[in-house]
Order: sequence, then structure tokens, then C-alpha cells
Amino acid sequence: MRSTISRLSPQRCFGIVACAVLLMAMNGHALPALKAQSAPTAATVPDLSGVWDGTRRAHPTNSSTVPWARTVPEGTILPDGTPADKNYVSNFPVLNERALAFQKIFDEPLSPKYDCQPSTPPALEFDPFNMEIVQWPDRVLLRYEKDDQLRTVWLDGRQSTPHDFGIQGFSVGHYESSALLVETTQYVFDITGFDDYNGIPSSQQKKVTERYWRDGDQLKATITVEDPMFLRKPTSYTMRWLPALKGYKLKAFDCDAEAARLSVQFIPPKYK
Amino acid sequence: MKTGKEDFLMTVGSRMSVALVLAVGFLMRVTPVVAHHSAAAAYDETKRVEAQGTVTKVLVRNPHSWVFLESGDDKGQKIEWLIEMGGVTSMAWAKDALPIGTAVKVVGHPSRAQGSHGMTAATFAKADGTPVGPRGGRGEYTPR
Repeated sequence: MRSTISRLSPQRCFGIVACAVLLMAMNGHALPALKAQSAPTAATVPDLSGVWDGTRRAHPTNSSTVPWARTVPEGTILPDGTPADKNYVSNFPVLNERALAFQKIFDEPLSPKYDCQPSTPPALEFDPFNMEIVQWPDRVLLRYEKDDQLRTVWLDGRQSTPHDFGIQGFSVGHYESSALLVETTQYVFDITGFDDYNGIPSSQQKKVTERYWRDGDQLKATITVEDPMFLRKPTSYTMRWLPALKGYKLKAFDCDAEAARLSVQFIPPKYK
Repeated sequence: MKTGKEDFLMTVGSRMSVALVLAVGFLMRVTPVVAHHSAAAAYDETKRVEAQGTVTKVLVRNPHSWVFLESGDDKGQKIEWLIEMGGVTSMAWAKDALPIGTAVKVVGHPSRAQGSHGMTAATFAKADGTPVGPRGGRGEYTPR
């Protein structure tokens, strides 16, 4: 009995725990360096929760000039619901030579959407469908009717790892000045990952920064994209959502592979 | 002695016309077209095409729905038209309003690929010209 007590003495316990922690760290099992956001006060956490209408009732439909426009005539309603003034500055991305080369060889049937591959930021937010925001203490869930996508924005300070590459990337965020700021990285290459209307790809270096805030009963967001592989400089657009009809629940999209690819036969072939 | 319906189906099955958008400006007014890169790649939005025939299949799906129409050319050869419409939300009406075997007239933008018989942003009408579905049956062309 005496020898057992001796083996579990405080000194020995400390030594065992210290060794275990050291071994875990050496094997990459250390706990992620969590730097939790200091508890936000109620005043800085905006109420963004609910189902939001992102259809053409809320903003112009996406196209080769929306939301990325070279010119916008004065008075045109912008994606955030406000009219453009005469000083509108083009937000059409400035492409580097690599992007221009990709654009040149781009073949429409290559577009992954014809096989139901989901849309990603910065296009996903603007697709004319509803979306839902759920705010939990340690995360925000962004649920999209389009392509049945769910994005998780981590608020607990966790960092991405090389295992977190994915089609929707890895999102972290925090609240600041009554807005939700989201930063998403770890995307995989996507030949139409910036904009499928203009055949602009995105790389694994794409970084999307989003700022969400309430403007009265509307939800607004500024979406900024950086991608040094293809863009010479970051660019952004601001859009709005309207409150969805009372009681509206998101519907399953259930993209149908047959229906998605049928129209490809109508595109004149670019390559044999 | 042919019935009116037979007359209709024979004429309908064999008639098809393509006209420039200016010639049908009025149709363009009632069926505004949503600019869409993918649609522009597959369909010529400056033209309109008309087809008449019978519905053989309806797929109300996402991202887009499809109506299959059996028609015929001037030589009596069968033609299958594939008409691309909006997604499930905007095309729910089609399941009831376009039962298999329905004779319809369809006007829309023709597909681009040579020899193909596709159409989008289409309006549907019965033999007597009565519109089928909301706003003449034009489903929203939902971008994807």
C-alpha cells in the first residue's frame, strides 16, 4: 500500500502529465491554439439570424455584368439596393496574365455547375436564392438554399490546418462594430471559382472577406475577394437581402445531374 | 375528314419559324429575358423560334426544369424539342398544366449548336392561343 501511494505522489503525477503533453505536441496532437474572442458585449453582436430573401426581389439578377461591372449608368440600382451615382467606380476584377490565359481557353461545358458542383463565394452569396443565418456563441452557420450548402464560421479562435482545404474553404470570424466579419481561406482550385459568367477561375490562394451588418430590416454584406494567382488587386461588391416571407423555410435544392447537364448539348463545341 | 384537333396537330407538328427579335418585339416586351452567360452560350437571345407539338415528358428539377416536346419538320420527320425553364420553385405549375400528350405552341430563344432543337425563356399556349401557366408559362430562368 505504501509503495502504491508513493508511485502516485504529486511529483510523479506532474512528471507523467508533463511527458504526456510533450509527446502529444511532438505527434501533432496538441490542442489547437484557441484564441477565443473576448466575450462580445450584446451591443456589438448584431442580430443577423433568420431567413433572408436573396432573390431578384432583393437585388438585380447575377449576370456577366452583375455584381461585377465595368460601368454602371447613373441611377442604376446596385446590388445593395441603392442607385449608382455618376462617380461609380468599376469593380470588375483586374485579371493578371494567368487569369486572362485561363479565360481564353475556358470552355463552357467545363463549368462544374453542369455536374451540380456547388457554387462558392463570391458567387454563392449572390445567387438569387434564400439563405439562413444561425448565430451560436462559438460559430455562425450560413445555410444556402442554392446547392444545399452550409458554411460554418468559427468564432472560437481556431485556426485552419492543411487538412481544411475544401470547396467552401475554412471560415473564421468575429464581431466588430455591430458587424460580423468573416475570413475564408483554404479553397480548392475552381475553374469558375470567381465568376462563372465570365469564366474567371479561383485558386487555393483565394481569400474571401465578408462583412455582414443590419441596415434597418435589411441584411447587407460587403464581399471582398483576393487571389494573387489570378487577380492583380482585391475587389468587392456590396449586396443586400430582404427579410424572407414570414414562416418561410429553406427548401432542398437537390440538384439533378441530368437536368444540370442537358443544355450542354446546345453549346457549339469550342474544341473537338 | 379531319377533326380540328388533327388539323391542329398536323399543322402544328410541321410548322416552325425563326424570326429576329425585332420582328417579335412585342413578345420580348412580355417575356423579358434575363441576361445570363450560360444561357448566352447555349441559346441565341437575339432570336425567337416557334414550335408546336405534344408534350412527352416534363422534368421539374433544379437547377433547371425541362419540357420535352414532340414535333415534326416539313418532311414529316419527328423532332424532339428540349425546352429549358426555371427551377423547381418557378415551375411547380408545369406538373399539372402540362400533362403528357398536351398539344401546345411554344415560343422561345433557340439553341445555338448546329442541328440542335433546344429552346429557353419560352412561353406556352394551347392550340387556341390560351396561355398555359403563369405569365404565358414562362418560368423564371434561374441563374445557377
